Amino acid sequence: MAEGSKLVLDVTDDTFKEKVIDCDVPVLVDFWAPWCGPCRMVGPVVAEIAEQYEGQIQVFKVNTDENPQVASQYGIRSIPTLMIFKGGQRVDMVVGAVPKTTLATTLEKYLSA
Amino acid sequence: MNPAADGAHQADEKSLDTMRKFAQTYAQRSGTYFCSDLGTTAVVLEGLAKHKEDLGAPLCPCRFYEDKEAEVKSTYWNCPCVPMRERHECHCMLFLTEDNPFAGDKQEISVAEIRAETNKY
Repeated sequence: MAEGSKLVLDVTDDTFKEKVIDCDVPVLVDFWAPWCGPCRMVGPVVAEIAEQYEGQIQVFKVNTDENPQVASQYGIRSIPTLMIFKGGQRVDMVVGAVPKTTLATTLEKYLSA
Repeated sequence: MNPAADGAHQADEKSLDTMRKFAQTYAQRSGTYFCSDLGTTAVVLEGLAKHKEDLGAPLCPCRFYEDKEAEVKSTYWNCPCVPMRERHECHCMLFLTEDNPFAGDKQEISVAEIRAETNKY
């Protein structure tokens, strides 16, 4: 979560449409919160995915405490929740601290088609 | 309230210590263990203590709530939450059953260990 990767940028209530919905490539969004243990575990996994798929996808993170509008809009409950968007639509999601392979497998479905 | 690096606020040390003691006792009583990575445990305890301070109850820090005050009143996600009490399920990874691959062998953590982690944020 807090550890910075240059490839995982913050997105907010105000910038969500522009950065995620209007994006031309698939987008992975990490919904996290401060003091959430599993978020701290999944953060580095998300950063690795961002590196591995650089150029093919965009990766963002949302602090749900600071951006309740977008968290509410997408019905976020358990945190972390990782959501995949394609063509402005939410197409998939993974909840909780998951291994990199699980996330990669989910993501791969939306890369070729 | 101590502002940390990314703006996440820590709890008072007294609230943190109360939460820590509760977690140690509850782990023993429920036969569960802290995460093998105690940093995860530390972060969750800080979050619970902060919620206890701000909201009056240790609301789970691993959920998004439309209205935190209302959630505290409904009590479902106040730690130990209903899924934990009924089925030993803690998605926050604070209390892990022995068969969980992330479970460690500890049921104790010190304030120093917690703060060594949460001072980074």
